[in-house]
Amino acid sequence: MTIENKKGWISWFNPFKYGSDRWMFALHRLTGIVLGLYLIAHVWETSNILNGQVTWNKIMVDLDYPFGVHFGPYILSLVLVAAVYHAFNGIRLTIVENGLMLPRPYRPEYPYKAKSLSGLNNVLKIVLGIFMIAVSAIGIIYIFTGVII
Amino acid sequence: MEQLILKDFGEVVKTVTFRVRRYDPEKDDAPRYEEYRVPVQKGMTVLDGILYIKEHIDHTLSARYSCRMGICGSCGMIINGKERLACQTQILELGKDLIKVDPMGNYEVVKDLVPDLSKLFRNHQNVKPFIIRDEEEPKGEYLQTPGQRERYAMFTDCILCGLCLSACPTSASDELYLGPQALAQGFRYIADNRDLGFEERLNVLDSKHGVWRCHFSGACSEVCPKGVDPALAIQLLRQVMTTNVFVRFKQKGTETGPERKSVSGVS
Ligand code: HEM
Ligand code: SF4
Ligand code: FES
Repeated sequence: MTIENKKGWISWFNPFKYGSDRWMFALHRLTGIVLGLYLIAHVWETSNILNGQVTWNKIMVDLDYPFGVHFGPYILSLVLVAAVYHAFNGIRLTIVENGLMLPRPYRPEYPYKAKSLSGLNNVLKIVLGIFMIAVSAIGIIYIFTGVII
Repeated sequence: MEQLILKDFGEVVKTVTFRVRRYDPEKDDAPRYEEYRVPVQKGMTVLDGILYIKEHIDHTLSARYSCRMGICGSCGMIINGKERLACQTQILELGKDLIKVDPMGNYEVVKDLVPDLSKLFRNHQNVKPFIIRDEEEPKGEYLQTPGQRERYAMFTDCILCGLCLSACPTSASDELYLGPQALAQGFRYIADNRDLGFEERLNVLDSKHGVWRCHFSGACSEVCPKGVDPALAIQLLRQVMTTNVFVRFKQKGTETGPERKSVSGVS
């Protein structure tokens, strides 16, 4: 009798030992799920306007001060970073998953570093990474200070 | 004749602990780990370590191997958390005193470190890994320029070790997924200018568990011991599929797309 040895969905979030693409996959999936959950919560939250101004104001304050601490801006910042990462990495995936900006078939040479995971794909990661940091920074500054730069 | 003396050859450099996952279908309900102390000489591979355990400590330990030189693809295992060929992994190069050895994931386990690779071979077979022609009998040689060969040559290096399926996070949750190995071989034949079987392979490749299931995590290419870069093949296969909607068979690296008619020059 053989036994099943499936790694299962939990291994999606085990990017250790592999390369940067594996990390980005795990993060993309994680942020995708987080954004999905946030979207549901967001629809529920804003639908409270139907219950009148008093309820709305109370919910707003409750969400801004969970457990009585002013956590709101931090939670919002996390969601923002997740959205920014997911969006920019999604652009990269749209490009490379259609075979664009990847090398042509080449001759593997020891130690067999895969070229599809480096080269222009890495350039994309760096350029979009800079955008991610810039957009996240602008967003977080806005969340905390209300100033748009 | 001058004798070649290998410095330090045969000398025990250090002793490491092997923590090996054991599972005996006749006795165990669940896998368990067992530890062995193995003296390491220079140049010793993890497979050598396993054979040392088998010879000197525990004869019941099972592993699959054949060539000991990275060409048969039998000895794939998870060594210290990463898929590797046991015969191509030097113990000293790992730089650890604890070597954790697990059977490959996403396959069934027959015993100890021996996985059941039938899924891999079934998927490989499903993409029809041979040249498909329209004529019954070849009427002559099928010609190919060096450039045309270059378009798929790297993917012929696959030794069917199955490490890529063990590393793939999609294979981890979808057992029907064709996997990097089979998809790369599908591309290898589709990219071959002598092949006419694109349409015949579509129902397998262009399916729910086919090429679109890949999320380009790159783990397959990261662990492939032959540099096959299956992730590249999958993305290029997608390109063939999508561009095929607009331009039939237009393909990366070709000026006009490969000649899909008979290339024997005879028919
Ligand atoms: C600018 C906006 C967005 C872009 C460009 C984008 C892009 C992508 C792409 C390309 C994928 C496929 C990834 C892959 O092949 O592995 C993906 C997956 C996913 N996205 Fe988005 N997305 C965006 C917004 C969102 C939003 C708002 C949500 C949440 C409601 C979301 C949830 C998901 C989920 C759950 C997945 C599946 C994760 C996975 O397959 O690993 N995305 N996204
Ligand atoms: S593609 Fe590489 S890792 Fe996958 S089976 Fe072939 S040789 Fe092994
Ligand atoms: S024993 Fe043949 S590849 Fe390792």
